[in-house]
Amino acid sequence: MTVDNPADARPSRGRRRYMGQAVLRAEDEQLLRGGGGFLPDIPAPDAAEICIVRSTHPHAIVRAIRKERALASPGVIAVLAANDLDLLDDALPCVDMIPGTLDVRQRAIARDRVRYVGQTVALVVAENRYLAEDAAALVEIDYKPLPPVTDHMSAADRDAPLLYPELGTNVVYEVRQRDGNADFAARDGGLVIRKRFEFHRQTAVPMEPRGVMAKLTDNGERLHVESPTQLPQMLRTVLAGALGVRLDQIRVTAPRLGGGFGAKEMVYPEEILVPAVARKLQRPVRWLEDRREHFAATTHAREETIDAEAVVAEDGTFIGLRLKGWANIGAAYGFVGNTPITAMGAMVRGPYRVPNLDSHMFSVVTNKTPLNVLRGAGAPQATLVMERLLDEAARLLKMDRAEIRRRNVIQPGELPLDRGRTEFAGAYSVLYDEGDYPRCLEAGLRLAGYDCFETERNEAAKRGKLRGLGISMYVEITGVGPSETAHIVLQRDGTVLLYSSIMPVGQGSETTQRQLVAEELGIAIEQVSIRQGDTDEVPDAVGTFASRGAAVGGAVGRLAARELLKTILGCFAAAVGCDAAALRWECGGVKLPGDAAEFVPLEEIPMRLALFRQGTAAEPEKIEAKYRLEVPRPSYAYATHIAVVEIDPHTGRIEIPRYTVAHDCGKIVNPLLVEGQIVGGVVQGIGEVLRERLVYDSVGDLKTRTMMDYVLPGPFDAPVEFKLWHMETPTSFNPFGMRGVGEGGTIGAHGAMANAVADALRDYDVAVDGSGPFNPTWVMEALQRPRRA
Amino acid sequence: MAGSDARLPGKSWGDSSESCTVLRVTVNGKDVKASVPDRLLLSDFLRDVLGLTALKVACGEGVCGACTIAIDGEAARSCILLAVQVEGSEIVTLEGTNAIHGLNQVQQLFQKHHALQCGYCTPGWLMTVYSMVKRSVHPDSGEVGQYLSGHICRCTGYRNIGEAVRQALAATNDRGAGGEE
Repeated sequence: MTVDNPADARPSRGRRRYMGQAVLRAEDEQLLRGGGGFLPDIPAPDAAEICIVRSTHPHAIVRAIRKERALASPGVIAVLAANDLDLLDDALPCVDMIPGTLDVRQRAIARDRVRYVGQTVALVVAENRYLAEDAAALVEIDYKPLPPVTDHMSAADRDAPLLYPELGTNVVYEVRQRDGNADFAARDGGLVIRKRFEFHRQTAVPMEPRGVMAKLTDNGERLHVESPTQLPQMLRTVLAGALGVRLDQIRVTAPRLGGGFGAKEMVYPEEILVPAVARKLQRPVRWLEDRREHFAATTHAREETIDAEAVVAEDGTFIGLRLKGWANIGAAYGFVGNTPITAMGAMVRGPYRVPNLDSHMFSVVTNKTPLNVLRGAGAPQATLVMERLLDEAARLLKMDRAEIRRRNVIQPGELPLDRGRTEFAGAYSVLYDEGDYPRCLEAGLRLAGYDCFETERNEAAKRGKLRGLGISMYVEITGVGPSETAHIVLQRDGTVLLYSSIMPVGQGSETTQRQLVAEELGIAIEQVSIRQGDTDEVPDAVGTFASRGAAVGGAVGRLAARELLKTILGCFAAAVGCDAAALRWECGGVKLPGDAAEFVPLEEIPMRLALFRQGTAAEPEKIEAKYRLEVPRPSYAYATHIAVVEIDPHTGRIEIPRYTVAHDCGKIVNPLLVEGQIVGGVVQGIGEVLRERLVYDSVGDLKTRTMMDYVLPGPFDAPVEFKLWHMETPTSFNPFGMRGVGEGGTIGAHGAMANAVADALRDYDVAVDGSGPFNPTWVMEALQRPRRA
Repeated sequence: MAGSDARLPGKSWGDSSESCTVLRVTVNGKDVKASVPDRLLLSDFLRDVLGLTALKVACGEGVCGACTIAIDGEAARSCILLAVQVEGSEIVTLEGTNAIHGLNQVQQLFQKHHALQCGYCTPGWLMTVYSMVKRSVHPDSGEVGQYLSGHICRCTGYRNIGEAVRQALAATNDRGAGGEE
């Protein structure tokens, strides 16, 4: 069902307003007192502990697995390999295999061949983790090494070693996106800019590693699996297929997540294996990932190469873009491993007109950890490509960087704008909704002090520092479908309980969803509670990803509340014997008909209905409502990011004196949380281009296995000053005008930082064509480059 | 509190010949005596044996600060210490700083400034603030940044944490050290 009447067009009712209020998060109390409720905090006194034996080879045939010495180790309960686990279907799901895609879905456990360092090979079950680790070191695996291939460009070569010889190629996915006229060419006085962009491999590093617990319940009839996943319902479905049991025999509960960022948007091997072990051994088991295995076993992100050709007219308008790109997706598909490279064609043009597009993208398998999404999916790369090309065109045409954007940005009168068919995220076609991109650009420029920047640059130069400014805009697909469900119940104590499909990953979804329900019913937020992540309570849900938590999950919760209200009025009408139309809901309660016009507030409704029933044989009815929201079209958030960086040429350190964001995520539920998402997202993006990098050596071993090797942004990497401006243009694509905001900070930061670094180094002949990282080593090398004429 | 049993609750050490040592410590004001395997990490001892699960293990090598506790008033990483190393010490975990109900003053400031999102790293930050308060670190001193740079947060971007910490230091400086015990 779609909604015809946006709520905000209706007269407001109710005694309380929550939309747009900076409500403090109620969930903070538990978290701040240390009662987190994360998976490792759940007592599991009877659970045996699992340590996973992982491949130490990037590419090899597994000739034999010898368990004897491990089995003889103290406290060992079992040592299990693929053949011991009776999996009916060991393929993990991949949801972005479009027609023509070759099937390289990941398997839960290696059978005869390993394809990346970190792949699951065997499981050791012991009385505790220490003893399990002791024994895991004694499992002997006889590998016959095969030549590894880690670089995607050489993997795409005809004579490269093949990961899946039966497929005859390492190129497993291909997607084309075209718009306008494919034969576009430069006119007199115009430009053709050709660049190769390189994006390095990264990973999300949520503070909480992964883990899985599983135990049999109901006399061994059911399996209860606990896993901090963004997709509990998907896990239940896949697990039922893998184990060959009915859906109702599995209960998945996802506890609170200690960060996700896309790394937990996946059905992982361990989520199949640990439950299979519980069933095999008929006892509770637990696996907790340690950080060392996390770096190899949790999905990676971002790695791709893009060849771009931009055709630009003499006046700076972009005529068209030709793109060819290759994603290094690692050894097998992640849950949405082809999505980032698909996003390049879908999102590269952002808020700019660029009428002609020809984008041709490929996924290439290599002997690395499978690739999946990370905050922003492929949009950070797409944004960086477009924004670097704009700055390069401005430089070559000797045009102001703001001016070239003004000439290309889509005007409000051109919206809604159909940007062509896409395979991205079930969007089908990219159809921009309402917005004012030029206003967003000007707001960002003004707030960032763009017009005075040259003075600032000169002052910094006097101090011996190199200051640069970078502009970046993006339009992001948010709040994707295809649908979402919610269930809401009026409890006997007069409070309402929302069963939500959205997982708490830190974004504050408990609070925003409760705000929306309270707003709809006109009640106090304290009268609304929420439950999330239990498939017994919420059997059907799409999940938590793609900036859909508040925009889609929040909307469906509020619509369920609207249905609940109708149910309540129906119950009253039946009880007092009047027409439901004679009853009104206002100020958080029911206004009864008649001269007295009595008012019954929500908290008294269950009691009053019970009184009406007294003396009759009527059963107390369960007052509840369910709602399913179809989301045929995602909504589009947009922003302008402007980074000012300052380089110390003596140390190569890059500081960020000022960072500005002007953005539009539609109607804002909670400005405090929106700001938190943006600032957090920006700093994550800054870390990705200044510090973080996963390193494989020449023989395919992953060298970055700890937080010492993989440097995350710390407090000193955050911008000194942060300026933020909210635009709130409601979108007609969402029942409450909301767009998503969870990922935009990271998306915008890539383009803004790359442009700022390039601007600071504008006197040097250095290419800033990709994501760097622009760490001190990179900067010091750049400063050795010849000066530009 | 744990007795003198060498077992983790429900987690047998089997017939292994684990070398154990009797450990005496004070944890959140209570005396604890337990026989522990020599190789047991302090973080595992506190979480699994004593059930004090506020501290989190995130990096396992002392980089991120999520496992921070106070040992004799000083912030310390529990994931890179063995339990037997703290013999005779006075340990405070986040549980030991909690008010009976609701939030203490520092925790309230973290909530007010939205200084946490997923909350996994939060107990570590709070224990560092606890030791800063003990040492009466001035909110404007350069030391503040040094203390905070010992922690990683993936969600917040640090700004709100910095604000909450400075306000907490200002508030506690006004009424003298002592924290929120």
